[in-house]
Amino acid sequence: MHFVGFGTWLAALLTLFAFSFLYKDNPFFRFAESLFAGVSLGYYVGITLNQTLLPNLVDPMVQDFGHNWDLVVPGLLGLMLYVRAVPKIGWVSRYALAIFVAYYIGVDFTRRIQGEVLPQIARTMLPLSSLQATTLVSLIFIVGVYSVLVYFFFSKEQNAVTKPLARLGIWFLMISFGAAFGFTVMGRVALLIGRLNFLILNWIYPTIGLQ
Amino acid sequence: MPGLLHRFLALDRRWIFLLVLLSVAGPIIFPVGLPVTVTESTQKSFDYIEALKPGDIVWLSFDYGPSSAPENDPMAEAFLRQCLLKKVRVVVTALYPLGGLGLANQCLARITAEYPDAKYGVDYINLGYKDGATAVMRRLGDDISAAFPTDVSGRPLSEFPIMRGLKSIRDVKLVFTAATGLIGEYWITQVHSQIGTPVIIGPTAVSAPKYYAFINSGQLVGMLGGMKGAAEYELLLSRGHPELASLYRSTKGFTATKGMDGQTVLHGFILLFIVLGNIAFFQERAKKARA
Amino acid sequence: MNFDLGRVTLVALFAIVPIVGIALGMRAPALRSKIPVLVAFFAGLIPIVSLYIPKDFMSGDSGMSPRLDQWLIIVAAFALLLGITNVLSVNNRKINRREPGWPYAVVLLTGLLVTGGLGIYGAISKQGIGLLPDGSSTPFNWITVYVFQSLQSTIFALLAFFMASAAVRAFRARNTEATILLIAGGIVMAGRVPLLEFLAAPFPPLQPSAAAASQGLGKATEWIMNIPNGAAQSGIIIGAALGGASMAIRVILGIERGYLGLGKGD
Repeated sequence: MHFVGFGTWLAALLTLFAFSFLYKDNPFFRFAESLFAGVSLGYYVGITLNQTLLPNLVDPMVQDFGHNWDLVVPGLLGLMLYVRAVPKIGWVSRYALAIFVAYYIGVDFTRRIQGEVLPQIARTMLPLSSLQATTLVSLIFIVGVYSVLVYFFFSKEQNAVTKPLARLGIWFLMISFGAAFGFTVMGRVALLIGRLNFLILNWIYPTIGLQ
Repeated sequence: MPGLLHRFLALDRRWIFLLVLLSVAGPIIFPVGLPVTVTESTQKSFDYIEALKPGDIVWLSFDYGPSSAPENDPMAEAFLRQCLLKKVRVVVTALYPLGGLGLANQCLARITAEYPDAKYGVDYINLGYKDGATAVMRRLGDDISAAFPTDVSGRPLSEFPIMRGLKSIRDVKLVFTAATGLIGEYWITQVHSQIGTPVIIGPTAVSAPKYYAFINSGQLVGMLGGMKGAAEYELLLSRGHPELASLYRSTKGFTATKGMDGQTVLHGFILLFIVLGNIAFFQERAKKARA
Repeated sequence: MNFDLGRVTLVALFAIVPIVGIALGMRAPALRSKIPVLVAFFAGLIPIVSLYIPKDFMSGDSGMSPRLDQWLIIVAAFALLLGITNVLSVNNRKINRREPGWPYAVVLLTGLLVTGGLGIYGAISKQGIGLLPDGSSTPFNWITVYVFQSLQSTIFALLAFFMASAAVRAFRARNTEATILLIAGGIVMAGRVPLLEFLAAPFPPLQPSAAAASQGLGKATEWIMNIPNGAAQSGIIIGAALGGASMAIRVILGIERGYLGLGKGD
């Protein structure tokens, strides 16, 4: 048997507190849940302060204000976001919010068109000059893409042509969702494997002297 | 028999929870060592990295947190091992706010301890975490030091030889993002599309299905899908580098390959119960139709 | 002092205009909703237009767009912490009024203040939040490793149990679509793991056939993922991206203003 550190014991106990929810809701789980929420928010404070605000805002202004005087503006805009908590002057935060949201929307606009729409549509441009076995597979792919797009067209009532296409689109979507379910099961189980691995191999085994 | 089936399926769900626990804990206590088969997207990822030359620079981004560490940690570790073995230089960042930085620090500490010849600031560097995701990526396209003025501990980038000659992300050969959520996708749709840097993604299994569309459109070099993808990558590494084969065989630490045993057992049980559940469902439906 | 045209324009647009807008808004409440929309127009337009205008003042090293990117890295950091003000006020009220569950609010606030306080200490003392030069852990890092990481992993690991329970109880082939979903899910679940090899493990004569069948199942899985799933995901990506792009145009042009807390009539 060898000494397993206090930190490992604490981690193991908090893990068991959280797992206790599986039996039923209880104060241990509620304690772990509340602690998690609080520590997560505190973690955000630590990382944003140390990793972004200090090196990207404070230090550049302190070390070379002449070159970085304009950083005062994003600093003030960031603080302005919090003004919304004050009811009388909460409207002032609209400026900071407008810049923040609109900027990311603008970045998103080009990202979506250039990085999502155009390459995905380009994949469906199939040269039919020489027909091969892969052409049939590609045709299935293309039929799938466009039938799914037809299904998502909700602004007009479907007719005799689009209705069967939409139905085919639904089937493609069902295959995709079934596949996604299979992957999701793998993903969730992996998290449990990690946790049990810690409990068994990093806590129980060393405590009873098996490792 | 039908009555037994219905009674079994109507059991308190806590019995199902217990079965899940035993299915996963069993293979941890009694490892099985089941085989892993390699898929095309993992093979392409491995081959691309194998083709890199000593001195090339790659970018490893920890875009995940503890909520998916059992899937993403093995991928990041395997990638780091391969790079350090091949003397490919690695720039490490974390863009995921909820825990990416801590995992990057721990992973680097674990893996670089296996390669004492690898020097911080020369062979690898940790630039730490930065808020802003796409804003950061846009800046990386022109000037890395504008987004990351210092390394993770606050030292200016000019102090480090690895950063000399590395002005923007255009100068790296590859971005490897171990990701949960949207940040991994941004590397593909923002960085690769607008800057052209090749990207390999190691998503969680939950988000992996989406990335097949990006593989099909040629926007990704390859993908390591979830824990299975990580296990495949570990297998390829072991085959390609015998020194890593013995490491993976003997390590007491967690590997994706070990985790696949638990996956297999639980998948088997879930499939069995889905089949049994549907048999009961059809029996019920037939009984109602007869009545 | 550096007075590049790009930098000065940014300050004019996103500092001077808001200041004027705030001053005017104090006198004329109607302007409180109009001028932010104007500011949003420029904030959304600059990242787009900079890709097409290769002029120094717009997209050069010290141009408007790169500098705006740097600004928004800083604003994003502040935005990430916005939720904390709400959490502080809600939990504070809960404790003051002794509402049901108030002890847990104490736990939450304690966790927040201790961890946040250690983060602030790390910044002020220049110790940071990772490892110290001698390899030992800062207090913030210790909490990250033993409390934050373990709790976050476990809370998400609970999902495995609920997922398994839901799959067993609710997955029924009620109609054609559900049947397709089930079959695809079943093939993928069986094909992604060496299930057949596992089942054949106690029966050596069956192992070669199991391995071959498993290979086939794996290939079927990859085909499902690449072709039908790939097609559906591609369609979803195109649809969602077009929707997102049109929403972007609406926000930039000021048609959509809900994000500012403004309704259609405001």
